[in-house]
Parts: sequence; structure tokens; C-alpha cells
Amino acid sequence: MIGLPVVLAVGALLFAIGLYGVLSQTNAIMVIMGVELMLGAAMLNAVGFMRYAWPDAAGGAFFVLIAMTLMAVEATVGFALVISTFRHRRTAELDDLTELRG
Amino acid sequence: MSDLGTALVFWPGAAIMLLTGVYVFRTSSMARAGLLLLAALGVEGLVFLALAAEFLGVLQLLMMSGEMVIMVFFMVMFMPDPGGLMGMDMTHDKRRSAVAAAAVAVALAAVAVATDWPAAVVTGETPDLRQIGFEVMGRSMFSFLFAAVTILFAMVGAILLAKQGGRLGLPAPGSDRPADDGDDGERPA
Repeated sequence: MIGLPVVLAVGALLFAIGLYGVLSQTNAIMVIMGVELMLGAAMLNAVGFMRYAWPDAAGGAFFVLIAMTLMAVEATVGFALVISTFRHRRTAELDDLTELRG
Repeated sequence: MSDLGTALVFWPGAAIMLLTGVYVFRTSSMARAGLLLLAALGVEGLVFLALAAEFLGVLQLLMMSGEMVIMVFFMVMFMPDPGGLMGMDMTHDKRRSAVAAAAVAVALAAVAVATDWPAAVVTGETPDLRQIGFEVMGRSMFSFLFAAVTILFAMVGAILLAKQGGRLGLPAPGSDRPADDGDDGERPA
């Protein structure tokens, strides 16, 4: 039997995996991947609430749509920043980027 | 979908999603990491389907398949060791990161299990998809339009950021104007 706590617990684990990626990776693209997993966990939670707590409310589905938009925007701007940084420094390693002024 | 059907998709789906999520950060091949992330978020789409969110599940599958393939290209282009054949370590603070992630996982899971959540009667019926349309075109229309404008701004901003020479482009030959991003277009041999 699956219930809301089970879905939320799986979401918590997925969020923690993404958090580990964001904290431990040195490359900007890998950090973006970690953020994607964290947003995926938030979407899973929203779908869980929609299914097991408020099945008649469409607000949960709308929240997931907004989270998907956020994922796309985050990846777009993140990739553009990586390209821009790579032009200046020839690297996308975050440990090498210690100052804003090049 | 019945309770049994939901369980048959949810449990293997959750296991695959979490395992592939972990292996994204354990593999040294960047192309493989991108494909593992595609697997994790794609299987999440299947889990959405099992939880009676058909529209969102299909949308998730479509979006993630496109986005992750682009991500694989970026990883191969910009990572110093995309194939993982040189044995480079592209991590830092692994132990503290793992401790922080484990602490967050335990705290969130404890809240999830210990809280007395409202429980609705779960039926096997698929929710009415028209409700999402009414939500988007009714109460949440302003937020929906705001999201659309945000995507447009992100696209324009991304192009300006990524353009060689910054938003004004490279200076003309012989011009004293420095490039907006300090990039003169010349590359070391």
C-alpha cells in the first residue's frame, strides 16, 4: 500500500541525492544536474499531494507545471553561464572561479 | 489504476529513480551521467503515470528526454574528462556533502512519516484533465502568463550571455571599443 508519507519519503531521498550532487561536484554542469534532481523531488511531492491529499484540486498539477518551467529556465541560463565562463576562463570548474571580476 | 497496479509501478520505479540518481554522481563518464539522469527523471515520469497524473507524466517524459540529451552534449563539450578515461576527480568535500545530504534526508523523511497528513479517499479513477485547463485559464492565469514571460526572458538572456563578445558582439576590426565581455575573439594557438 502506498500513501502520502511513502511518496514524500522517496521525494526526500531524491532531494538529498540532488543536494549531495550540488555540494560535492566541482563542475558547473554537474551542479545543474543536482539541482534538476532536487526540482524533480519537489515535483514528486506535489504529485503525491495531488493523489493522496487533495485529488480534486488542480493547483498541484499547476505547481508541477511551474516547477517544470523552472527546470527549463534553470538549465537554459545555467548552460549560457557555462558558455560565457568557458569563453573567459577556458574552464567550467567552480573551484577555479574565485572572483567575479576576470 | 488499481492499488496493486500503482504499487507494481511505484516501487520498482522509485528504486530505479533513486539508484540511477546516486549513480549520476558516482560514474566518471559524463555521457553516462547525463543518460543516468535521463533515466532517473524519465522513470519519475512513469511514477507520475502510476500516481494517476497522466498528463504530467507524459509531459515529464517529453521534457526530460529533450533536456537531458542537450545536457549530454554540453557535458561532452565542456567537461575536462568527458569519457572518464583519465581518472580525474571532479568532486570536493565528499564526506561533508554526504553527511549534509543524509541529515536532510533523515529530517525530511521523519517529517513526512510523523506528520498527520490529510487523507482523501483514493479512487482508481483518473482525475478530470479539464480541471488543469480551468485552473490555468482561470485562477492561475496570471502565474501561467508570468511563467511564459519568464521562459522568454530566459531565452533572450541565455542568447545574450552565450554570444561571443557579449551583448554587443565582437568589435569591428580596427575599432577601439572593447568587447562587452572582454573577449576579443582571438584564441591562443
